[in-house]
Amino acid sequence: MKDIEQFLRENAPETPAEGQFLIETNARLNAVEGIKKEVDGVRRRGRIALIVALAAGLALGCLITLLVLLHPAQPATDGTALTKALEALQDKKEILFGAIACLAIALGVVSVTRKRETL
Amino acid sequence: MTRERFISEVRACQGRLRRFLASLCGDAALADDLAQEALVRAYVSSDRFVGNFKAWVFRIAYNCFIDNLRRVPVPAASLDSPEALHVAGEAASDASFRHEELRRALTRIPEKERTAIVLHYFEDLPVKEIASIMQIPAGTVKYHLSVGRDHLKQHIRL
Repeated sequence: MKDIEQFLRENAPETPAEGQFLIETNARLNAVEGIKKEVDGVRRRGRIALIVALAAGLALGCLITLLVLLHPAQPATDGTALTKALEALQDKKEILFGAIACLAIALGVVSVTRKRETL
Repeated sequence: MTRERFISEVRACQGRLRRFLASLCGDAALADDLAQEALVRAYVSSDRFVGNFKAWVFRIAYNCFIDNLRRVPVPAASLDSPEALHVAGEAASDASFRHEELRRALTRIPEKERTAIVLHYFEDLPVKEIASIMQIPAGTVKYHLSVGRDHLKQHIRL
């Protein structure tokens, strides 16, 4: 065991001389500079769009919830199954909209986190 | 990360990076191409980089090597064929290897064992860092090191 380990350590290849390598690498980096700027720009725009979408979604969700709570609809009382369902919904609207708002916020937070991980 | 800092980090680790790739692919010219590809990839995403630059660049370089293997697979059966020996003979002009037999032996063991051996014995990296570069558990790295040593012993006369 020691023999092979010692042999490997003693016969490690030499580090190659810098030579033309850094000059060629620099040339390649210059060539991709434009691509890098473009990629950075797309990422930045994507992040901004995501934050704006999240904020707009939250604001719109809050506004709609507020409107629904302040101006409850008056369902017709003709005794059909649909009307009964609407009445049941009307009774539980605070819980229902609360749950939807929580879900929307959670989805927004999760999507922002995931987007950050992939960037 | 600024361009200047990136270049200074590259200047510090380019020799070891190229030696690592040359040991993996057994061809100094291909290793330099892969190293440049890895550095370009690293530069494009350098804004997101945090932590150990060398380990990060080595991980990208290893991925480039794997991508290249997938693009141009080497048939295992051909390693002992006269053509393979001819190719190996040509690549022997790579003077970085002091021991030609070792270079040939490395090309004959599986890629994961080769990578673990090269990083541990040539680059002197601890198992934990190798695990991070190869993106496998530390226990698996130890396994590859152990099996890799056994395989190398079959090809090298000590």
